Amino acid sequence: MPGLKILEGRYIATMDLYPQEAKEFNRIYPFYEFLKEGRFTTTRCKDCGLQSFPPRVICPNCLSENLEWVDLPTRAKVKVVTEEEVGVPLGFETPLIHALIDLGGKLTMFTRIVNCKVGQLKEGDEVRLHVFPVDPVPVQIGRQVVQKDRVFFAFEPSTP
Amino acid sequence: MSQWGVREASQRDVFQEAGKACFEDNPGVSNKDVDGLIVASAYTERCSFQTHLAPMVAEYLGIKPQSICCRVELLCASGSSGIILAYGLVRSGVADVVMVAGGEKLYVPEKWEIFYSEMASVDHDFDGAQGLGLPPPVFAMVAKQHMKQFGTTKEHLALVSVKNRRNGLNNPKAQFREPITLEAAMTAKPIVPPLTLYDCCPITDGAAAVILACEEKARHLTDKPLVYIRGTGQATLNNMSANMPDWTTWEALKIAAKKAYKDARVGPHDIDVAQTHDCFTISEIIEYEDLGFCEKGEGGVFIQEGKSDFGGKVPVNTDGGLLSCGHPFGGTGIRQGIEIMKQLQGRAARQVEGAEVGLTHNLSGFIAAHTVLVYGRQP
Repeated sequence: MPGLKILEGRYIATMDLYPQEAKEFNRIYPFYEFLKEGRFTTTRCKDCGLQSFPPRVICPNCLSENLEWVDLPTRAKVKVVTEEEVGVPLGFETPLIHALIDLGGKLTMFTRIVNCKVGQLKEGDEVRLHVFPVDPVPVQIGRQVVQKDRVFFAFEPSTP
Repeated sequence: MSQWGVREASQRDVFQEAGKACFEDNPGVSNKDVDGLIVASAYTERCSFQTHLAPMVAEYLGIKPQSICCRVELLCASGSSGIILAYGLVRSGVADVVMVAGGEKLYVPEKWEIFYSEMASVDHDFDGAQGLGLPPPVFAMVAKQHMKQFGTTKEHLALVSVKNRRNGLNNPKAQFREPITLEAAMTAKPIVPPLTLYDCCPITDGAAAVILACEEKARHLTDKPLVYIRGTGQATLNNMSANMPDWTTWEALKIAAKKAYKDARVGPHDIDVAQTHDCFTISEIIEYEDLGFCEKGEGGVFIQEGKSDFGGKVPVNTDGGLLSCGHPFGGTGIRQGIEIMKQLQGRAARQVEGAEVGLTHNLSGFIAAHTVLVYGRQP
């Protein structure tokens, strides 16, 4: 497939579906470092107590910067499942399965479900955190280009 | 508006077509009369590699703005946002005659790029990276929950697409101008169950433009009945999926509607005609409820009983809505405004008899923001 010759072999940040996770580009980089350890975390305000998701650098309630990292459950209950067979974006397999999941009553979120067949997952089933490597990002530091490893997360059925 | 659909045209082409159509509809106004320009476009950088769009549109339409010349973006509600801002500028005296032009060129040479680029529409780092680009999975999930909670059926969804496809015949610029049968809607190919093909609006190229003016100038610039913006509301309570307060009752919509109704000194029962954001059939059903046209949970029955059709309580999406016209994000709120304007002027392709008060509604993002405008024949 012909592309643009001048871009061959180039990393293009504006075409990257995953976040810039490196410390040089993101103040919530610990979230991704914890993911590498299998931990699913967020920030909690030590002044007013509000726990936010996604993680923050200021509390959206009291604007305090006095935040701490706290662990979220890595197992969740499925509330609704959807299975997408058309228009799945590049980088994702077809069918693309999503679910609205409840993490111990603390957080309800929409997430991708991997290692799962169509029709397999039902309301009330348990899913668990699945962390996987994604393409590293070449970060220019001075005259050097350093490859920064990355991970991202999805959930998978607890019982295969 | 320009022709909407899969266009063999560039972004700048469709904006020129929309601008010309707007001036031709209002022979009393020329490009020399316009002192401000607001351009609504969400994907101009992503799909056309073009920022600083408003001065380009001004250059192409022969407009020499003095009061305002900028772009506004709120994805699917960019156009309505432009109208609200223009209204505020005219009301405050900052500008007198403002064109609001909105549109998109979404079809890039290879289709994968638009599906891929859509991952910018949600919280990119958290929801987008879960593969959530085009929104069918989100609305499929909403539909499943609405069906479970309120007994809404697949037939209710299908009836919305049948009505809006029929109404698309009223708009010669619509992307789809072929009616569909209930049977076709019920048996169409699945997209994300329970949503099938005709439950989902398409991807669209196109643009639309309107002109807002202070009352004094407007009286000199047109011989048509004046249409007034009477109330506006725009609300958001969350952006990321994790912070959605309720999936089947759209709290931000209720807040935006309450504000717009209050400004306009009307209630839902006063609305004679409405254009709501039928990006998916389930959206229109929930919008009947949360705009107050019917009780919560009765949206399915509302369409079934014909209450959102011509001759019903509130004809909704009288020009075909997003399901027929298509949805070039920045253009949609303006297309809705044009249809309401024509309905209130008594010159719509298919007229709601005696319409005095009209409403437009957009949702945008991960059902994350809602924009409501109330228009009237009286100020």
